Amino acid sequence: MGASLPPKEANLFKLIVKSYETKQYKKGLKAADAILKKFPDHGETLSMKGLTLNCMDRKQEAYELVRLGLKNDLKSHVCWHVYGLLYRSDREYREAIKCYRNALRIDPDNIEILRDLSLLQAQMRDLAGFVETRQQLLTLKPNHRMNWIGFAVSHHLNSNASKAIDILEAYEGTLEDDYPPESERCEHGEMLLYKISLLEECGLLEKALKELRKREFKIVDKLSYKEEEVSLLVKLNSFEEGEKLYRVLLTMNPDNYQYYEGLQKCVGLPSKTGQYSSDEIDNLDALYKSLAEQYTWSSAVKRIPLDFLDGGKFRDAADNYIRPLLTKGVPSLFSDLSPLYDHPGKANILEKLVLGLEDSLKKTGGYPEKSEKEPPSTLMWTLFYLAQHYDRRGQYDVALAKIEEAIQHTPTVIDLYSVKSKILKHAGDFASAASLADEARGMDLADRYVNSQCVKRMLQADQVSLAEKTAVLFTKDGDQHNNLHDMQCMWYELASGESYFRQNDLGRALKKYLAVEKHYADITEDQFDFHSYCLRKMTLRAYIQMLRFQDRLHAHAYFRKAAAGAIRCYIKLYDSPPTSSTEEDDELAKMPASQKKKLRQKQRKAEARAKKEAEVKNEEANAGGASKYGKRNVKAVDPDPHGEKLLQVEDPLMEAGKYLKLLQKHSPDHLETHLLSFEVNIRKQKILLALQALKHLVQLDAENPDTHRCLIRFFHKVASRPVPTSDTEKLISGVVEAERPTFSQLQGKSLMEANTIFLEQHKDSLMHRASVAEMMYCLEPNKKAEAITLIQDSPNNPVSSNKSLGSVKQWKLKDCVAVHKILISTFDDQNAALRWKKRCGEEFPYSTYFEGSLCSTQTKTSKAENGGIQNGKVEKLEGGMKNLAI
Amino acid sequence: MGAGRAVSISLDGVRDKNLMQLKKLNSVLFPVRYNDKYYADALASGEFTKLAYYNDICVGSIACRIEKKEGGSIRVYIMTLGVLAPYRGLGIGTKLLNHVIELSHKQNIGEIYLHVQTNNEDAISFYKKFGFEITETIKNYYTNITPPDCYVVTKYIGGESQSKK
Repeated sequence: MGASLPPKEANLFKLIVKSYETKQYKKGLKAADAILKKFPDHGETLSMKGLTLNCMDRKQEAYELVRLGLKNDLKSHVCWHVYGLLYRSDREYREAIKCYRNALRIDPDNIEILRDLSLLQAQMRDLAGFVETRQQLLTLKPNHRMNWIGFAVSHHLNSNASKAIDILEAYEGTLEDDYPPESERCEHGEMLLYKISLLEECGLLEKALKELRKREFKIVDKLSYKEEEVSLLVKLNSFEEGEKLYRVLLTMNPDNYQYYEGLQKCVGLPSKTGQYSSDEIDNLDALYKSLAEQYTWSSAVKRIPLDFLDGGKFRDAADNYIRPLLTKGVPSLFSDLSPLYDHPGKANILEKLVLGLEDSLKKTGGYPEKSEKEPPSTLMWTLFYLAQHYDRRGQYDVALAKIEEAIQHTPTVIDLYSVKSKILKHAGDFASAASLADEARGMDLADRYVNSQCVKRMLQADQVSLAEKTAVLFTKDGDQHNNLHDMQCMWYELASGESYFRQNDLGRALKKYLAVEKHYADITEDQFDFHSYCLRKMTLRAYIQMLRFQDRLHAHAYFRKAAAGAIRCYIKLYDSPPTSSTEEDDELAKMPASQKKKLRQKQRKAEARAKKEAEVKNEEANAGGASKYGKRNVKAVDPDPHGEKLLQVEDPLMEAGKYLKLLQKHSPDHLETHLLSFEVNIRKQKILLALQALKHLVQLDAENPDTHRCLIRFFHKVASRPVPTSDTEKLISGVVEAERPTFSQLQGKSLMEANTIFLEQHKDSLMHRASVAEMMYCLEPNKKAEAITLIQDSPNNPVSSNKSLGSVKQWKLKDCVAVHKILISTFDDQNAALRWKKRCGEEFPYSTYFEGSLCSTQTKTSKAENGGIQNGKVEKLEGGMKNLAI
Repeated sequence: MGAGRAVSISLDGVRDKNLMQLKKLNSVLFPVRYNDKYYADALASGEFTKLAYYNDICVGSIACRIEKKEGGSIRVYIMTLGVLAPYRGLGIGTKLLNHVIELSHKQNIGEIYLHVQTNNEDAISFYKKFGFEITETIKNYYTNITPPDCYVVTKYIGGESQSKK
C-alpha cells in the first residue's frame, strides 16, 4: 500500500488508513490532502480520500474520487478494494463482489479482501463461491480457528453437511487433549453441539448420540444437551429412555408443550393427528392426571387434557380448569380456550357450563355446589368471558348485553371496554369500536397496548389523522412520524395503508405498503453483520437458524399483506389513472366561488406549512451533521411524504410485477398470490402467464368463487380474441386449446353451462352465487336482471345450533359488503344496491356500512360520553356510602 | 366475603395517567359530575387521594382537598369517599379512611372534616366509628336533592391544641 510514495508520504498514507479504521475522518482527509498536494494523481490516495468522504456523507464526491483513483492506478488492489467497499456501503453487493474479484486477481492472497468477499458471498447466498473463498482462507491461515469453522459452515450451507462434519473433525484433530481452556468452554461446547446437529441432519443418529454422550462433560449448555439427546433417542425409537428423559425435562420446565408432545410420542400416544380412540383417551387422561399430581404448578398440564377429552369428561375438566381462573381474574382466559371453539360440541358445553356458573354466582354468590362465597369480581369475569364467547359465536346482541352488564358491575376494568370495542368491530360498527377503544385508552394513559389497540380501531374506522396523533403519544419526542417508521411498526403501516386504500388515496396507501416492503429489505440487510460475528462467537446453531429464517423471510404474513396491498394499488392505478392537474382545474372551475376560495386558501396554507416543516427539518439535519461530523445520523427529509410521486409511475403493472414475483417465490401456496397474478397478467395481455395463474388457482381451490371467476373470465377472454395471425399468437392459441380439456369443469361444456353447474353445486352460498351472477352477466350482458335476481334470492339460512339465545345466520358481514360493491361497480344498478343495503341493514343492525338501526351513526345523539365533565355547580354528596354495611 | 382466600386490597395514588379511573368511579358512585377544580384539588392533595384496588381491580377511592385555615394551620377536607356496590362490606372503605387518618396524624394535621346529607345514617354511623362527630348543621346546603340539609362531620386529631369554635 502506498508503495510508490516516498517514505514521508508513505507514512501519511498509513495514517489515512488508520484514521479510516478509527473513524477519525477529518484527520484522514488532512493527510490525504497533504499527499495529493505533491502527488495529485496518486490513485490509492485518491481512492482512500473518496472512501473517507463516503463516511462523511459526501457520496457523490466519494464516487468521483474513487473512480478517478482507480483510473489512475488500475493495477492497484487497494483501489479495487476501496471501490468494492464503496459499493458495499450502498448495498450494491453484486458490484462489490466484482470489485473484490478484480482486487484478488492482482493480490490473490490478500486475507482482508478474501474475508470481505466471503461475507458478501454468504449474504448473497453465492454458496459455491463462499465455499471456494473459505477454502482459500483456510489454506492461507490454517492456524486460525475461525477459518476452520467458516470452511465447515460454508459446506453445510452448500448442502454438504457430511463434508462439514469431516472438516470439524479434522479441526478437532488439531486440538490438544486439554482443550478447551476455561475461557473457551462455551464456544467449544457450541461447536460440538453444532457438529452433532450436523450428524443428526445427515441421518447418522447413532453416531450423533454416541458423540453427544462422549462429549457430555465438554458441553456447557446442559439444556440443549438434553433436548438434543431426547430428540436423537426418539428418532432411534428408544422410547423408554426417551420417556425418562422427557420426564426429567418436564421437572425443569413443566409448561413446555413440546416436552408433553414428546412424552406422548414415547408412550405411544402421539398427538400428531389429534384424533384418538376412546381407549387412547382414557390412557391420556390417566397420564395427565398423574402428571398433574407431579407438576402442581404447571398450567399446561391442566390445559392440554381439554384438547383431547370429550363429552362429560371434557365438561368436568373444563369446569375444574375455568373456576379458579375466573376467581383469580385472568383476562386471557377466553383466548386460552378459544382453540376449543373449532369443535362445536365443546363450544356448546362451554356455553352451558359458564352460563351455569353465572346463574349460581348471581343467585348465591358462589359456584354451584359450593357453600363458600366467591369474591365479587368473579361474576364480572364470568360475564366478561361470556361476552367473548357470544362474540366468537357471532351473537353480537347477546355479547353486547353481557359486556354491558359487566361494565355496570365494575366500570373500572379496562379490558371490558377493549372487548366491547372488539365486539362492535365484529358487528360492523367501526366508529363506536374506535370511540370505545379510545375510552379504554383514556383509563390508562401509560399503557402502550391499549394505545396501540385504539390506533388500530381508529384506522379501521378510517380516522387516519386521529390515529396518527394517538400513535405518536408513544413515540419518542422529536421526529414523531419517522419514529414509527424507524421502529418498523408494521401493523401501523399496514392498517393505515389499508385505510388509505379504502379511501382511494392510492399515493398514501402505496407509501405505507412500500414502507413495509422496505422493512423486509432492511431485515435481510441486517443479517450482514452476523456473518462475521457468529463465526467469531461460535453461535453456529443460532446462525444457521437465522440464515434459514432469512431465506423464508418474505413468506411472512405482514410482507404478504403489504405486497398484495401494493399490487392492488397498482392495478387500481392502471384501471383508473389519476386525474391530471388540468382535470382537477376543471373540477375546481365547477365549484362555487366561495368554496373555491376556501379550497385554495387551504391548499396554500398546507403548502406553506409543509415547506416550513421541511425547512426546519433540514436545518435540524444540518445542525446535527455539523456537530457530529461524519457520523451518519443525518436523516434526509422525505421529498414525497404523501406518495404523490408514487402515483406517477410510467407502468403500474410493471411495478406490480416486482412484488408479484416475490409473492410467487415465497407464498406459492396462497390463493391470493395467484389471484393477483391473474389480474396483473390478464391486464398485460400475457395470456400464458394468466393461464399459469389459473392453473395454480384451480389446483389450490377449484371451488373458490374467485377461482371460478378467473376460470370463466379467462376462457371468455380467449374466445373473444381476434383470430391469431402472427406465429406467437398462433402458438399461444395452440397452448390454450391444448390446456382447456385439462380443466374438468369445462369438459364438453360451454362456459354458460359450466357456470350453471357451479351454481347448482353451491347454491346456498352467497359468495358463490355472486360469482356465478357476475359471470352470467359477463358472458351474456342481456341477462343482467336474471343475474341480479340470482344474488337477491340468496338465502340466509341459520347455521345449525341448539341454543336458546337466538341463532346465527350464514352470511358474513364482509361478504355482504363485497356483494354490495359488486352491485354498484359490476352491475351499476343503484336500485338493486339500495335494496341490498336495506336488507343487510336488517341482517346486521350494528353495521355502519349498511346503516343498520343500531349502529352509532344512527343513534349517536342519545349516547353520552362517559367520564366527561360538566361545568355545573359542584355538589358534595356522600351517596356512595349509603349502602355501606358496617 | 373472600371466604378464606387471600384477597389483596392495595392503595395507589392518583396521577394524570390514571385520573380516568377516579372519574369512572365517581360517574357511577355519585349523582353529580365533578368539575375540573375537584380533580385539580385531588391531584394536588398528593397522598391524601387514593384509589383502592381489590385483586388489581380499581373499586373505590377517597379524594381529599388540603385547606389552609386562618392562622396558617391546615386541615383535610374529604371531598368523596366511595366503593363500588358489589365490593362493599369488604373493609375497603375502612382502609381508605384509615389511610387518611393515619397520614394526617403523621403530618400533625389536627382536623379532618366532610359534609354528609342529614338523612344518610349509614354514613354518619360509619364515620362515628372512626371518631368523627357532628359539629355543625348547614341548612339548604344542597340545591336539588332532599333533604337539602347537611351535617359537617369532623374528627380532631391530637385534641389539645385544637380550640373548638
